[in-house]
Amino acid sequence: MAEKKFERRTTLDPAVADLLSGMQQRQAESQLPRKERERMSRERAKIQSRRDQRATYDLPPTLREEIMALSEELRIPASQLVTLALGRFLNDYHSGIIDLGKYKQPSRSPRYDWNLIFPDELIRIKKKKG
Amino acid sequence: MKIFAFANQKGGVGKTTTAVTLADGLARMKVKTLLVDLDPQGHLALSFGLEKSPGLYRLICLDETLEKVVTHIAPNLDLVSGDKQTEKVKRQITLSDFRETILADILQDAPYDAVLLDLAPSLDVLHVNGLIAADWVVIPTRPDALAVDGVKEILTTMAEINQSGHRYRGYSILPTFFDRTTRETFLQFQDLAKTFGEHLWPPIPQDTRVRETVAYGKTLWDYSPNSVAMNGYKNGKQRLGGYKQVLARMLEVING
Repeated sequence: MAEKKFERRTTLDPAVADLLSGMQQRQAESQLPRKERERMSRERAKIQSRRDQRATYDLPPTLREEIMALSEELRIPASQLVTLALGRFLNDYHSGIIDLGKYKQPSRSPRYDWNLIFPDELIRIKKKKG
Repeated sequence: MKIFAFANQKGGVGKTTTAVTLADGLARMKVKTLLVDLDPQGHLALSFGLEKSPGLYRLICLDETLEKVVTHIAPNLDLVSGDKQTEKVKRQITLSDFRETILADILQDAPYDAVLLDLAPSLDVLHVNGLIAADWVVIPTRPDALAVDGVKEILTTMAEINQSGHRYRGYSILPTFFDRTTRETFLQFQDLAKTFGEHLWPPIPQDTRVRETVAYGKTLWDYSPNSVAMNGYKNGKQRLGGYKQVLARMLEVING
């Protein structure tokens, strides 16, 4: 039976660990053929250029699922559907078409004064028409 | 009060710049800080745009009080400066009783939250005094073989001091002049991480602004607070390395 090899774990400062792993990745990349290196460099530039476009929000899962389903159905990227929805919302809000007052409830959070409480029909998945 | 010694027997590794930048940073965080120049080159005073003066000589050889010899640099920041007369301090210490603990005795009741000792790149009696006075030793090192050898030398000296009964709270290795694009830096950094683990602090990136700042007699906090040496490398929304991150590590040590 082969003898088990145990390696002592080294605890690192988190910033040192992140920097080291980034450098290891770059070193590994530098060993790749030129075409592969260029492809990875392009990918990295693409990811970096999209960084400012990224946002993280908590959404009701039903809404998220509906956006994904619509994206599949229409073959349109989900990000663009959400951009359209948010753009429409902001236009309607600034034109006074949407009144947040009817959803507002006082919040107990020290950071916010209000929460929006949505009616079920607003966030429930709508069944597709036959 | 915590006493930090900045030591490496190899010269030119960034001890003085590191001590100056971190002392100024601590003072700006309202930590009452004293900087002590144990190097006869007297470069701490020059780093703040001041003339060299025999502060350490007056403190140890002329028995003047700490309060009398310090130069007030900024709110919460005082300096015991040095110059070539520091050589005489070494001679006097050599001839004294309890010679290894003279500095520790003087600093024992100093009214500061943090004391930063900038040690000379030599193993002499003043160097040993600095190491014995220290609670925590910060060892700046360039990521090259000779400077890393200096790290081993300091650790050996610390081990000898430990054997004589002094207990350090800890030590940290601080890579300076860090250029993450070179293979040699990567290999040295990897070795340091493997050997020293959690004792390795995030590195200070190589940055021309650091050299310029001394010429203007300003610290990096005044001259170039948003330089890469201060803020570290950008990694998405994170920052890796740089003096501001190292300052946070020091504050963790000070606050226990």
